[in-house]
Amino acid sequence: MTAEAKLAPIRKGLLEFLVLKIVGARSVYVPDILRRLADTEFATQEGTLYPLLSKLRREDLVLYEWQESDAGPPRKYYRLTDAGKAQLAALDEYWNLINRTIADIGT
Amino acid sequence: MQRISVTATLNRSTLQFDEAAFQRLEQYLADAKRTLEGNPDQAEILGDLEQAVADQCTRRLAPGASVVTLAELQPALDEIGTVQVPGSTPGAMTRPLQQISEGAVISGVCQGLARYFGLNVTLLRIAAVLLLLATGGGMILVYLALMLLMPYAPLARAGKPVRKIPARCRSFVEFVRAKLGVAAA
Repeated sequence: MTAEAKLAPIRKGLLEFLVLKIVGARSVYVPDILRRLADTEFATQEGTLYPLLSKLRREDLVLYEWQESDAGPPRKYYRLTDAGKAQLAALDEYWNLINRTIADIGT
Repeated sequence: MQRISVTATLNRSTLQFDEAAFQRLEQYLADAKRTLEGNPDQAEILGDLEQAVADQCTRRLAPGASVVTLAELQPALDEIGTVQVPGSTPGAMTRPLQQISEGAVISGVCQGLARYFGLNVTLLRIAAVLLLLATGGGMILVYLALMLLMPYAPLARAGKPVRKIPARCRSFVEFVRAKLGVAAA
């Protein structure tokens, strides 16, 4: 198994965390999220993002509001709920812990 | 005479497609629908995807052109990508066992069970009715017990409307739970 094949599931698992971070920074709609991720290793597509956002909404971590747009139909703007903020904080903290562990272990 | 374009309503937009593009789009949406089978937000996600297709095609149409062809549709679909269900590692059971009020016939128990076990909800409902007949009505008690015990999934804010009977069942269950001092989920 190549390193790349081992890294793919890690990236896939982290996507949800990154989406929470993006939505947590400010209220965004889906093209904003796609643009933010486009130049990273986590570049993704609407076909992945919409089902993921719907799952996060079912888990009460994000919610959306309709906002009028100058061009075209109204857009869904997503933001974090209180539960979403709490989970993001927990994930952030755990991520830092893992980072430290990886840096320290084997030295 | 030849049919040159099909007008399609995609979520909140209306666009014209030529026959080939229309067929390709129908196929894409049918695949997406199948992938999202059993997902309580199936209709909403399909609406989001339709809107994404409409936005992308509109953006790609040459100035003055009004009919979407495969030249616009295919790159649009490639950019949107096939539908991926989050955490769809086979065998990973992360779906909660909850009743789903939207689109429910009685209270949403069958929809909840179908999602939990990854079954087709129509087949599960038919099985439930057959069991009802086979047990001479005993299934009613099983249904009532599940209805009182299974928590309710949070309501989708812009999802399918909840019909009268599921709404009443939900109020009834919440009333009973409150009386019994059980925290309603």
